[in-house]
Amino acid sequence: MTKGLQITGASKYYNEGMNRIPALDNVSINVQTGEFVAVVGPSGSGKSTFLSVAGALLKATEGEVILNGQDISKLSGNQLSDIRLREIGFIMQASNLVPYLNVLDQLLVVKRMSGKVTAADKAFAVKLLEELGLGAKLKSYPEELSGGEKQRTAIARALINDPHVILADEPTASLDTKRAHEVVSLIAHEVRTRHKAAIMVTHDDRMLTYCDKVYRMEDGKLSLVPAGRLV
Amino acid sequence: MFLAWKELKHNKTRFVMIAVIFVLISWLVFVLSGLGNGLSTLAASTFKTMKADYVVFEQGSKASMSKSLLSNELTAKLTEMPNVSAVSPMGTIMASAINENGAANEDKVDIAIIGIDPGSFLEPSIIEGVGLTTENMTKVIVNKTMKEKGFHLGDTFKLDGSTESLTIAGFVQNQTYNHVSAVFIPITEWRKLAFAAPGSDKGVTEPVNAIMLQGKDIDPKAINEELAGTETVTRAAAVQGMPGYKEENGTIMMMLAFLLTISAFVLGVFFYVFTMQKTNQFGIMKAIGAKNGFLGKAVVSQVFVLSLSSIIVGIILTYATAAFMPKGMPFMLETKLVLTYSIILLVISLLSSLVSVRTISKIDPLQALGRVE
Repeated sequence: MTKGLQITGASKYYNEGMNRIPALDNVSINVQTGEFVAVVGPSGSGKSTFLSVAGALLKATEGEVILNGQDISKLSGNQLSDIRLREIGFIMQASNLVPYLNVLDQLLVVKRMSGKVTAADKAFAVKLLEELGLGAKLKSYPEELSGGEKQRTAIARALINDPHVILADEPTASLDTKRAHEVVSLIAHEVRTRHKAAIMVTHDDRMLTYCDKVYRMEDGKLSLVPAGRLV
Repeated sequence: MFLAWKELKHNKTRFVMIAVIFVLISWLVFVLSGLGNGLSTLAASTFKTMKADYVVFEQGSKASMSKSLLSNELTAKLTEMPNVSAVSPMGTIMASAINENGAANEDKVDIAIIGIDPGSFLEPSIIEGVGLTTENMTKVIVNKTMKEKGFHLGDTFKLDGSTESLTIAGFVQNQTYNHVSAVFIPITEWRKLAFAAPGSDKGVTEPVNAIMLQGKDIDPKAINEELAGTETVTRAAAVQGMPGYKEENGTIMMMLAFLLTISAFVLGVFFYVFTMQKTNQFGIMKAIGAKNGFLGKAVVSQVFVLSLSSIIVGIILTYATAAFMPKGMPFMLETKLVLTYSIILLVISLLSSLVSVRTISKIDPLQALGRVE
């Protein structure tokens, strides 16, 4: 069984009037466990569509998405919810925490979605947060956190269910350089030590040094950037 | 429950505001229903507590005591009808009592004089004194609210516009008729009072207003066909036939119905706006794997907690209000009534939250990514 995330020949079309616009055009990518991949490209190039297809949020019109050996392109809505819950960890833009939950509860609510919260779950959540330097902030609400702390909470939330794939959508969008480096190096660290397959969509060229491979998305086409040509 | 509770605790002000509105609505519902119940009791408690199943009126009287006149000779015939287990005649008139003993209480008191056969099933049970007798026709039993107006056991009172005097032999409770205290007297004495003017009995021998029947499976149609000029109705229909009863009750019921409808919309809109404000959050949670059921449960349980606590506060306020109401106010809350309206309110708020649940199920988790290309 192949681990990680394999996308083969995925295309996604949108109908715009009489035209059929390809947002994804025959995209293939293979991300192994322990591998941290970046996708860069101008806005409108199809990066988000790509991430949505990889993250079981959007079904590709054509092609295959294999997540940890399971083909997810033919699953129902509820099954996709389960896949997102158990197999995928999303790190979204800084504001995407639930405003009325404290840092610890942000993680525990994910556990709640799949049933009861055990003492072991709680211990794991606390350990995870301490590892990410949030030990003193367990009871803080998002409004009391800095941008970096919010993003570290989001990283912890992505890891709480021990998923196989980590998807990060512009994780540094609202951070200054110092915090951005901090956050991305943390993601890279977690990906390697926990053996996750990770994809980060970013505008931020400074962050590419943390990644193993860099892909460029242009007009729905994905191409590998040769290692020597990194900016 | 987890999400629902955490959010309630974190956003206290906004939930307290909704709760206040809900408390006011439930308070009003309970007070109105208590008033309605009190009024209808006052109007017809004698009828409602009577141990009769059917009432025979004169044909065309529209089940109204005051419009009906029958001969007591029918009583014997009715006894022989199938399924009739007991029969007893009844007559009512409205009058004013003047207390002869109390010098300070010269005010007239409105009463309803109800003529019945002493010892029949129509005679209510005594809480003080003795019941009606056939020997002394001027000994009467009266509702205990007369006490508050200065009437005591053994007092004799005159009737306004009549030479007759009546003596209080006993007290009964919860007996009001046409909003005033009921005074039960033997039916022969009632006849003397009701038909004092010559010819007012229209030549009917031993006139009565209506004849009450006991018996579970009585067929009203059979009686109507058998006895010409009669109209048999259930006791409930007779209550409806009381002058003003339907109108009075209808007014209160209409207010209640409007109130409940309005509250359904108000609450529904509140919950909907709340949910709309949280669209983004719900989108995020869906993106990280929350199912519609999980989020729907959170919303419904939140509404449930909010509604239940508001209703409880509303009930407490209602009982507090009742304690401060003036004594003559016809306010009567029964546990059954409170329970019924609590359940109605709870169901209404839960139903109105379903609109929000539907909204949630339509939220696209793609929104959580912040931009859709």
